[in-house]
Amino acid sequence: MSLQIYIIRRILFAIPLILGITVVSFIIANAVPADPINANLPQNALNDPELVAAFRERWGLDKSPVEQYFIYLGNLLQGDLGVSIKTKNPILEDIQQFLPATIELATVSIVVGLTMGISFGVVSAVWRNSIIDYLVRIFALIGVSFPVFLLALIGLTVFHAELGWVAGPGRLSFLVDDPPQVTGWFTIDSLLAGEWETFWDALSHLILPSLVLGSFVSGIIARITRSSLLEELNADYIRTARSKGLHERVVIVKHALSNALIPVVTIIGLLYGNLLAGAVLTESIFAWPGLGRYVFRASTSQDFPAIMGVSMLIALIYVAVNFLVDILYYFLDPRIRLK
Amino acid sequence: MKGINKRHLLTSMMMVFLLFLAAACGGAETEAPAQEEEPAGQVEETAPEETEAEAPAEEEAMEEEAEEPAEEEAMEEEAEPEAPAEEEAMEEEAEEMMEEEERVLIIGHSEVTESYDLAHAFNPTSGIVHRASYDTLVTFPDTDASSIEPNLATSWSVSEDGLSYTFNLRDDVTFANGDPLTADDVVFSFTRLINVQSNPSFLADPIESLEAVDDLTVVINLVEPRPSFLAEMVNSAFSVANDAEVIAAGGTNAEDAASTDGAQEFLDQNSVGTGPYILESWTPQEETVLVRNPGYWGESPYFDRIIIVNIPEAATQQVALESGDIDLATDLAPDQVTGLEDDPNITVFRGQDRWTHFVLMNRDPEIGGPVSDPNVALAIRYALDYQGYTDLWTGSVTPGSNMWIGIAGAFGPDQAFERDLDRARDLLTEAGYPDGFEIELSYPDFTFGGINLSTNAQKIQADLAEVGITVSLRPGEVQVSLEEYRNGEQGFAYWFWGPDILDPVDFLSFLPGGKVAGERTNWTEDMIDEDTLALIAQAGSETDPEVRAEIFEQLQVYAQENGAYAPFNVPAIQTAFRSDIQGYIWHPEWGLDLAGLSRSN
Repeated sequence: MSLQIYIIRRILFAIPLILGITVVSFIIANAVPADPINANLPQNALNDPELVAAFRERWGLDKSPVEQYFIYLGNLLQGDLGVSIKTKNPILEDIQQFLPATIELATVSIVVGLTMGISFGVVSAVWRNSIIDYLVRIFALIGVSFPVFLLALIGLTVFHAELGWVAGPGRLSFLVDDPPQVTGWFTIDSLLAGEWETFWDALSHLILPSLVLGSFVSGIIARITRSSLLEELNADYIRTARSKGLHERVVIVKHALSNALIPVVTIIGLLYGNLLAGAVLTESIFAWPGLGRYVFRASTSQDFPAIMGVSMLIALIYVAVNFLVDILYYFLDPRIRLK
Repeated sequence: MKGINKRHLLTSMMMVFLLFLAAACGGAETEAPAQEEEPAGQVEETAPEETEAEAPAEEEAMEEEAEEPAEEEAMEEEAEPEAPAEEEAMEEEAEEMMEEEERVLIIGHSEVTESYDLAHAFNPTSGIVHRASYDTLVTFPDTDASSIEPNLATSWSVSEDGLSYTFNLRDDVTFANGDPLTADDVVFSFTRLINVQSNPSFLADPIESLEAVDDLTVVINLVEPRPSFLAEMVNSAFSVANDAEVIAAGGTNAEDAASTDGAQEFLDQNSVGTGPYILESWTPQEETVLVRNPGYWGESPYFDRIIIVNIPEAATQQVALESGDIDLATDLAPDQVTGLEDDPNITVFRGQDRWTHFVLMNRDPEIGGPVSDPNVALAIRYALDYQGYTDLWTGSVTPGSNMWIGIAGAFGPDQAFERDLDRARDLLTEAGYPDGFEIELSYPDFTFGGINLSTNAQKIQADLAEVGITVSLRPGEVQVSLEEYRNGEQGFAYWFWGPDILDPVDFLSFLPGGKVAGERTNWTEDMIDEDTLALIAQAGSETDPEVRAEIFEQLQVYAQENGAYAPFNVPAIQTAFRSDIQGYIWHPEWGLDLAGLSRSN
């Protein structure tokens, strides 16, 4: 099957998947036995039937759930995610405000996590059962199992408050103005505007949160890299390569590692989606104005349109990233057949 | 594998070591690559500067000897954390000169608001910002709600029938843009509040009509006599906005304002009031910036610029305060504050928070079971270990009723219950439960204002076990539990209440005919005697302060004997700030008064 047909097929498969996501998120949002009225109107206003009725009508809550769903779906097809009950802004606008911060953090974190994780995995596999191997495995275990919010707090207390090595909460120091928005990434926008100080400040604020998130990622990646590389190193073609007299570095990096990284690529897609969706706690602790905090506030106030909008978006990103990963296989390993 | 030579092994080992160090202790990782690559400049340059600006001990020490300049230098270094590139030095210097003059205050705060429009916002955060950027006609004293004080109105009078309030405005007030304040602005602002029909609009329900008699006189007519009306007008929703500016931004006070008013977007980003500060910008969930109003009619505030940074996590607020990133943290938990008390750079403030924690006992036998019996309710009031809760939560006190203790005439610790287990057992025997009974306690499972409700629920369970009542805990997700509570479906529950109005009438919610009693406890008017009913009716309309005080005293005594609630604790609010910040006062109505804050030299 050619690549083009494969891509088209994958896109077609994504449609029922996304429809399913809308149904599931709609059902979950509606199944919560709590009324948005209570979460969004002040106590005294609840006594006023007129205000309550006006609220229900305005947000379409007076209609049946099925009707609500199809109205939602209809709007969605026109690219309209609706309006947030809480912020009163179109969800798309809200997402535009909060998404770049999350994407910037998640992307930097995955890069940090990959760099650390692959390096650790490689040395750990190459010096199998040495002290280094044990240390890496302990680190990986801690990285995977240590609660992220605790790591974040310890990091802030030690490296920001006590030692002052890195910047603290927020995306920028509180007295530094945001760079003019182009991409929404403060590091890129500040460079585009030639504001070097803002760039360094933004970078300094990225260090701690990305290391915290990255440590989790690197823990997983280090383990996978290690086991997968060990397997490859025992393979026949490695023995052949060695017997040809190739330099050990070439054997490991060029032959073994490039094959060993295929499972790593698989997991990247999942991890990236996780970082986007699961950064609520980290964003909260680092006062990072990202999507995680937005959706947390939306869920505590039963802001259905916002919850659905963000679920849709994250699902779409998830689907897209995994799609890219599958395409990547095609180039990484010619043996992989597209089915 | 043996083929790797020693040189490689060594370099690789070192790399691993560095990386491991990095991973193990976070920050180091950036230093390792930084030394070889470009960022080196940044790390090396910023590190010493940041430490200087953020080392609180040094700053403090310097302040004692050197005066103001030291202080402001530190400020300015925070503003410019990186050493400027050489070619930019000149420009930077000019900027620094300007910033040296500016007095900036940074507040760490967990932002709770969706708007800064007077007609839409109704939240703690908007309350703070409105207090700073607008003014109300009347206000409370600095720390409590014991009296009504003049503000934009110099004086007022109430008609005999209690239906008509006449306010005389100050003649020396201008809005931040220079326009003079007139009675028309007041009428416009209040009718817009009514007609926009948003969150705070219900506050204006008592108003029948408004009239600007002349430039400086406003008459407000009420639907019915309402003794709490002046106290209600202190709410920042009754702030006065400049009608011309609101109209220019697309605003209207017309009857169909709910659908035609278009000023919210503008008012979220700009204030059009007479207050000591002007709203300069708001980035939702990030920060709110206020600048000093140079034309303010009252005493000019100290700070030129106030930045309210959204830090939702209390633990992060603490770190930011300790490192000097922020000057004041508004949302610390009790245990955090205790830890901060030893820090010489930080001052801790404690005041009475506006929440009363109570146990609710549903009067409907179907729902409440044994606790629907008034004698059992009284027994439970005697069985709770009040002292234990105040010991548990530093700075908290025991209330004597469900009227919040900051309100004039509320029963405080002196009139509160004391634990009497024998009395409790007698009452239970009288009610037919000599061996106690089993019951479920419903409560929302979360931490509010630093108080973990689950902790208190466990204590209630232990307290009641001593009189033979076996309580099983039934924690619920907040919104779910709230729904049950508001629908009156919980028989035995633990909740808390903050007054909507800082006036005794708020207490009527807890008596038959009131919201909490009727809807949530099913304690209805047909369950009480005629005299008490008459007293409750009189409490809602009596305007004579002395008669009011007497009525509310009787009603509180009545609730202690017969009520469906056991109020047991009023926790403390805690705030901490850098020790050079002065003038911090917490007020139950508006929270934080930004204009009163200053920095000592």
